[in-house]
Amino acid sequence: MRRCDDRFVKVLPGVRKGSLINSHRILGMKTLASIKCPKCAGPVTFDTGTKLVKCSYCDSQIFIDRSGAGFYYAVPFMVSEADAIGLFKRWAAGSTRAKDLDKRAEVAGANKQYFPVYMFKRDVKGREEVLIEPAGSTTLPGLHELKVPAGDLKIFDATFDTSGAELINPDIEMLSYMDSLPGEAKEQALVYFPIWRLDYVFEQKRYEVVIDASTGEVFSANFPARSSTSYMIVAIIGFLAFAFEGILALSSLMTAVTLMVLTVLGIFAISFYVARRL
Amino acid sequence: MTGISVGLNCPACGGSITVVEGEDTIACPYCSSTLFIEGDEGVTTVAFRNRTTKQKAVDASRRWWSSGWKARDLRRVGKVTEVYPIYLPFWRATTRIAGWICGYEIRRHTDSKGRVHQQKIPKEVMILNDYQFSEIAADPGDLGIRSLRNFSGETSFADFDMIPTFEATTSRDDAISHARNKALSSARSSARVPRVTMERLHILPRRLSMVYYPVWIVRYDYRDRKYLTTVDGVTGQIISGRAPGDPLFQSLAITAGSSVGGLLAAVGIILSDVAVEMMIAGIGAGVGVLYLTYRFFRHGSEIIDGDFRHKPASMSETVNELRDVARSLQGAYR
Repeated sequence: MRRCDDRFVKVLPGVRKGSLINSHRILGMKTLASIKCPKCAGPVTFDTGTKLVKCSYCDSQIFIDRSGAGFYYAVPFMVSEADAIGLFKRWAAGSTRAKDLDKRAEVAGANKQYFPVYMFKRDVKGREEVLIEPAGSTTLPGLHELKVPAGDLKIFDATFDTSGAELINPDIEMLSYMDSLPGEAKEQALVYFPIWRLDYVFEQKRYEVVIDASTGEVFSANFPARSSTSYMIVAIIGFLAFAFEGILALSSLMTAVTLMVLTVLGIFAISFYVARRL
Repeated sequence: MTGISVGLNCPACGGSITVVEGEDTIACPYCSSTLFIEGDEGVTTVAFRNRTTKQKAVDASRRWWSSGWKARDLRRVGKVTEVYPIYLPFWRATTRIAGWICGYEIRRHTDSKGRVHQQKIPKEVMILNDYQFSEIAADPGDLGIRSLRNFSGETSFADFDMIPTFEATTSRDDAISHARNKALSSARSSARVPRVTMERLHILPRRLSMVYYPVWIVRYDYRDRKYLTTVDGVTGQIISGRAPGDPLFQSLAITAGSSVGGLLAAVGIILSDVAVEMMIAGIGAGVGVLYLTYRFFRHGSEIIDGDFRHKPASMSETVNELRDVARSLQGAYR
């Protein structure tokens, strides 16, 4: 077991000092934090969501009070670079994106990053409220929507494997939020969430997308869009032609039926072309 | 208290006590005092046992590929690249609604002489029901899952250390108020009282728990694109997914839609001599059919199942598209 330094548990002034958190790995799967048992001082490990733990040495139960300390969490990457590009292509093939954007867009760069947000759990007049605030200033699409994506929150410390991702440092202080938030603190944390930033070029213009590397959601502020005009024109022309031919059938059935057959073939051919190419 | 950890002792005798998260009263094992627990109350946590194997998850996804209007070559070209289970957190609440809803319903009928009679039928409905509610306790991202469909299964924490667990990050009290609103609105609609004169309903929150539910994530490739399906770890069924569509089905849809829609409109216009309502009904039905098939024609290049955030095939999207088309036609005219 190895002692971590103070950096990983930020002790907030004005609230009682949090004890240092050590961390180690069990089974190579879960990073668990550890505290000293208040009764026997033995090391006790606990996972991210745990409130009550039992000391394995003296068997006494310990309540973990998170209101006074700041925790650092990180969500592991579930999406590799190849996956990120594949997810981008899936998104780019979507119906509102320019036709064949998935094939014609050139991916110019992929950046693996950890983006920081603050997560505050507050007790506001007996109600639990969760507030998410940005910890870094950004213009990236999606990140101003401020949320912590679903993911396996891990305690973030020196042993945490960032798997080569660039860590964006928080440039907004947690304390600058603390004073203005409603209610009393229950828990506060800095959460690093994993993103892929992709740049792509389409018709000499540069665009940017952000991919949430935990669930694979794609965020984009602006992108080359596909026009609905040809789709709608085909639909409306077909509708009007059939309405006309239906009325015509009253006076001359044979002409109307012949026209209808031709219209069916025509609409099918044009719509197939539109669906494939436009 | 100097640290983030607090040892638990009985305030009466000082003996060491044990608390299970979610409990609010316990008896001290030494002096048998009944103790009430205050502070950051937790919730009862349950985990469902994962009963689906990797192979079953892949098979379920492959079966899903060949159903519906998905790309015809998906079964041949699609390749599963990654399959793994996760535990997703859900708030689960049982809310009891008890009370009365009173009101009346008005029925009109025409007798043989053509006179219209109006009848007021008083209604008095008693409500006593438990409503189940569930809501994902984290941002679902692009998983397409919002709530639980299945509440039964073997509960066990046996797999808990083996499967990555997504952490709960949303507020417990938000979930409770969502559950209350949902229960109230279901109670009101189940009463079927069209005009309410008096309503007295009591909301009795029965239980809130945190459910960890096993879900298999199946990622697959189709022509360099990455798609995803999620499979229920208990029932083995598809919960959500995205799949490529097929332009052939899109064009068949619009061909069928414009012909059926156009002919319905024509029938309406022909019958307008009989009654004007016939014309309105005919044209309305025709436009309705056209709208539904147009939506598929425009957005059928990707087939989605489940609760995804952005659904391109929505009414508001079609209105936006109409506006765009109007604008571009205006531009062309000038």
